[in-house]
Amino acid sequence: MLEIENLKTNFNTYDGVVKALDGVNLKIEDGEIFGLVGETGSGKSVTCYSALKLLPKAGEVVDGNIKLNGEDITNASDERLREIRGGEIGIIFQDPLSALNPVMTVNEQIGEILVLHQNAELQKLALEKEIPTYKSEKWKASPGVEFTIMAFCISFISLFVMLGQWRFSLPFLFVIMLMILRDYLQRENPASALDLMVIDALSRVKLPNPEQIANSYPHELSGGMQQRVMIAMALAGKAKMLIADEPTTALDVTIQAQILQLIKDIQKEENMSVLLITHDLGVVAETCEKVAVMYKGKIVEQATVDEIFSNPKNDYTKGLLEAIPKGGKERLKVPNLEEASVL
Amino acid sequence: MKEILKLKNLKKHFPVKNSWGTDVALVKALDGVDLKIESGKTFGIVGESGCGKTTLMRTLLRLVEPTSGSVILSEEITGNNFSSNKLEELASEELRNFRKQIGVVFQDPMGALNPRMLIKDIVSEPLVIHGKTENVRSRVIELLENVGLGEEHLYRYPHEFSGGQRQRIVIARALALDPKILVLDEPTSALDVSVQAQILNLLNDLQKKYDLTYIFISHDLSVIEYMCDRLAVMYLGRVVEEADTDELFSNPQHPYTKALLSATPSFDKNKAKIMILGDVPSPINYLDKSKAKLATEITEQEKLEISAIEGKGIDYIVRSSLNEVIPLVQISDGHYARVKQQ
Repeated sequence: MLEIENLKTNFNTYDGVVKALDGVNLKIEDGEIFGLVGETGSGKSVTCYSALKLLPKAGEVVDGNIKLNGEDITNASDERLREIRGGEIGIIFQDPLSALNPVMTVNEQIGEILVLHQNAELQKLALEKEIPTYKSEKWKASPGVEFTIMAFCISFISLFVMLGQWRFSLPFLFVIMLMILRDYLQRENPASALDLMVIDALSRVKLPNPEQIANSYPHELSGGMQQRVMIAMALAGKAKMLIADEPTTALDVTIQAQILQLIKDIQKEENMSVLLITHDLGVVAETCEKVAVMYKGKIVEQATVDEIFSNPKNDYTKGLLEAIPKGGKERLKVPNLEEASVL
Repeated sequence: MKEILKLKNLKKHFPVKNSWGTDVALVKALDGVDLKIESGKTFGIVGESGCGKTTLMRTLLRLVEPTSGSVILSEEITGNNFSSNKLEELASEELRNFRKQIGVVFQDPMGALNPRMLIKDIVSEPLVIHGKTENVRSRVIELLENVGLGEEHLYRYPHEFSGGQRQRIVIARALALDPKILVLDEPTSALDVSVQAQILNLLNDLQKKYDLTYIFISHDLSVIEYMCDRLAVMYLGRVVEEADTDELFSNPQHPYTKALLSATPSFDKNKAKIMILGDVPSPINYLDKSKAKLATEITEQEKLEISAIEGKGIDYIVRSSLNEVIPLVQISDGHYARVKQQ
């Protein structure tokens, strides 16, 4: 599915060049859950951002090849990359509330992805059901513009009435009447194809009353629901691969168990590949089939989950596993690491 | 067993107002908490976000006034100098003396340290406030050496340190006034496992050295199991189960505790899984009787989730079954839980 060969990414800072990735090799097969573990600053997230060319300005990929389904996307055009992001690879970020746009409803946000990546499907559905594709309400602007027009008209009406020149307020009254008439005539519109597909996307992530959630803003939802909406967004473009960057770090353990179960279920149903980035070895042990451990921009060990937890070969992996409290009251072993700076 | 603090039916209700300014609901952040905290031991408090852990910590320090109930201080803290042994009756001067006895370590060390102050000023600030101005410099160096830092760190700013070192500075500051109790609010949740191990070891060493009492708030059960002697599990402002750590981990009684223990990711693949379904309930209690009650029947979302995991051999409990208030019963010596008795 995704193949990364000898990837090297540098960050140019005032203090010098930071080698964030120093020759990373990864191979993610079709339909497997792959875990990428490491501590802060080890380059887990940079790996996935480099693969998708989402690095900030200071970062640059210096060397390496990235292949998606056999196609070399290392030097892909911006157009092709836009197709890949969301269309072939979906991403979930750590903090759902900062990843979702606070001034857009869930409906609008998922709709954006569907319009970009599933336009053909949308047109087909609209033709089949004989409903409009995008918006079923005609002659309607965005809520902000609607509100501004209404407020404008009302203030002018009151101004002219106060001045005693009520005749001048008639055109504004007429505009308001037209708006009310428009809403009245369209009161029983069928949902558009876009609405139907958004609701379908939301029910795939097991959200109750998808119609209601589609019309709400992110802050009205709980953390678990927000993360479900994020997953719905990542899946909306019918992506074949999902990159989950610390999807449960901001959530409680009980909600974390639900979200991990959901990711596992969806992976099985759609036979997707999942790249799970996390710092929690327990999460990896429960969800993944294969694991790579990263340290200082390098992959220090890569194996199946059972092997890595029962028989770790690398000293760093051993140290990491020993540092976790497991029952018992004996003193914890602290792995012997220098401060994790890669300068 | 020597108690250092006792919480008696502690309640803290926050009013929720509508746009007219009238109360429409109460958030029952603490709803009758009874706890005894033993001297020289580590007492753990576990629960998910919104269950009242932090409010409990704040009422302990009297940063918020409790609605009812009281915190009873032992002689070890009052030293027979206070006018009352109830925290809510203490006046300003005595309250200041009381706060000397409790140190606090917060979750995010970067947020707890002033980025514009030097380490020497940060660590000496409590000493200056409480008027212990002689030999400040040597005392600060002693405190820093206690937590594994040294004299060379005195003239640096917080941003020059790594996450683990910052947490050490916060601990040094909390210990500046020789407190008897240290409240640790998720001290390691912002840290990596290897740094977490260092901090936990440091905390254990300090406890032995100064005979400290820890109140350890966390949601990471492996850390809680390692650190705590006794443990209270909170859910929606109530303590649903309280027991010694070994007892609680080997013999959990309350369904929520069971689910919490099994929800923690672990390396043991054969561990029995109990999923907890549904969303975290809102702690808001409406005064209007018609919407006063939390659902005790299965909700829409829970139905969906049940159908999703059906036939996969996963045990589950639903949130709505936890909303019923059941009195605390004694299971065995020192083990209490809110379960229905047969």
